[in-house]
Amino acid sequence: MASLSAFPRWVRVNAEKYLLITAQQRVAKANDLAAPLPALDAKGRFFTKVFAPIYRVLPWSLRSKVLQLMPGSHRQQWSPRERKPNGPAV
Amino acid sequence: MAVRTVVVGGGAAGIGAAGALKGANPSGEVVVYTEFEDAAYSPCGIPYVHGKEIVDFQSLFLATKEQYANQGIDIHYETTVTGLDFANRRIRVEGEGEVAYDRLIVATGFNYADPGVPGGDLEGLYYVKNIRQAMEWDKTLDNTKVAVIIEATPLGMEMIEAMIHRGIEVHVVDTRPWAMSDLADPDIVEPVQKTWAEAGVHMHYGVTLEGFVGEGKIRAVTTSEGEIPCDLAVICTKKVPNNELGARAGLKTGPTGGIIVNMRMETNIAGVYAAGDVTEIPLGVINVGVQGLTGSHAYSQGKVAGINAGGGHREYQPVYIPWGMVAGKWMIGGVNFGETAATALGIPFVMGVAQGISRARYFPGMKPIKVKLLAEPKSLRLIGAQMVGGEGIKERADFLAMAVKTGITLEDLAYMENVYSPPIGALNEPIALAAQNGLSKVKR
Repeated sequence: MASLSAFPRWVRVNAEKYLLITAQQRVAKANDLAAPLPALDAKGRFFTKVFAPIYRVLPWSLRSKVLQLMPGSHRQQWSPRERKPNGPAV
Repeated sequence: MAVRTVVVGGGAAGIGAAGALKGANPSGEVVVYTEFEDAAYSPCGIPYVHGKEIVDFQSLFLATKEQYANQGIDIHYETTVTGLDFANRRIRVEGEGEVAYDRLIVATGFNYADPGVPGGDLEGLYYVKNIRQAMEWDKTLDNTKVAVIIEATPLGMEMIEAMIHRGIEVHVVDTRPWAMSDLADPDIVEPVQKTWAEAGVHMHYGVTLEGFVGEGKIRAVTTSEGEIPCDLAVICTKKVPNNELGARAGLKTGPTGGIIVNMRMETNIAGVYAAGDVTEIPLGVINVGVQGLTGSHAYSQGKVAGINAGGGHREYQPVYIPWGMVAGKWMIGGVNFGETAATALGIPFVMGVAQGISRARYFPGMKPIKVKLLAEPKSLRLIGAQMVGGEGIKERADFLAMAVKTGITLEDLAYMENVYSPPIGALNEPIALAAQNGLSKVKR
């Protein structure tokens, strides 16, 4: 059971790290700025060369659904505060 | 009989909770356990004392021990809680044995991520957290010639500034490509890094830390680019939740490692609350948990946990994370995420960018302000922002966080009213200019 509960964290930590690395390269290039790339091990190469490109071609609606299915505080009760109606305050 | 609430942790969340508990239920018994010698000081101020911008450490304390005692908050200092027993509503305390509670608030905070390299036990590795240790380290800085900052996180940036102010030669080592690159965009940080370069800071980006070497005490930091001789290494790695105590007892944690809570800061165990850096909180724009927020967030969460544990009702809200800081000759800041983080997540966005000014163009002291706004392409609702400028960043970040939270669009911002007063505001508000730029890229 421990390994099952640890899996979402493993995915989150690595996806976050390597998606950021690939995004940093793209954004730096778009801004014509330097972005030195760190040496990547086998896991790093997998996440940057396989995971990130596949993630990128999936539509946001699908990625969002997967993110919502992950366990976490976002699946607990969080009611948005009711907004006041438009119009004059008094 | 008075309800006894035990708070584990004496940081911003723990002390916020304790104060709120007394407010919600003045007759209740409130007991706080902290491993440290003190409670409720501002660790965020430590780098500024090191940099001599704040005169002494004493000013970082929020209240004296006597003041807490007079409020009826029983703080047990230098006391370690070793276990939580939810079934019997007891905690195990070193030197005190088993202690019963009616309500429990877990506010155990964070640890710095372990750099995971050899030499971690050498003297001369500084983790900025405990104020008493900071007082001792401050004396060490008097004799420090070269310091290496491990990772240019927000704390790392503050410590770079502190070292510059102390006249210490600074190196920063980070595998990432620029400072604060998990949060800030490269064009936002670039002006800051230019001022660091002018101040003689050696920036080693894209470089991997390999170890700390020395004979008992650190002599150098080894990296993928070679050895950097130094007297001191300041470890400024990412904050990770100090969840071991809670998780071992059965509190559920999310993918960030933070304890899962709801808007009342309730955990999966009845009568047990959690608050601060040990929890994860939904990020409002995408409804995904995030962890490692600010002291301000921790204090507010502690208040919510305390009020609810004390029998009141208060709801915390998903976060939008306004942030800002002074760096080099600049202020940088933002809300939620910028171009880099949005690109990483693959969120569709339209971006507006503008270079504006902080005061009337003719008024002495006028400073430039660059604003980047990110909006959802269909609704044009604001989803994030980044800024760099000479002044006025904090207030704009706070305002834009509320704008994101309330669903304000680029159209709203493009034609917003703004304060025009030559010493404090220009004719054209930089936020409005950035929104107009964003609108010009969208076919409506």
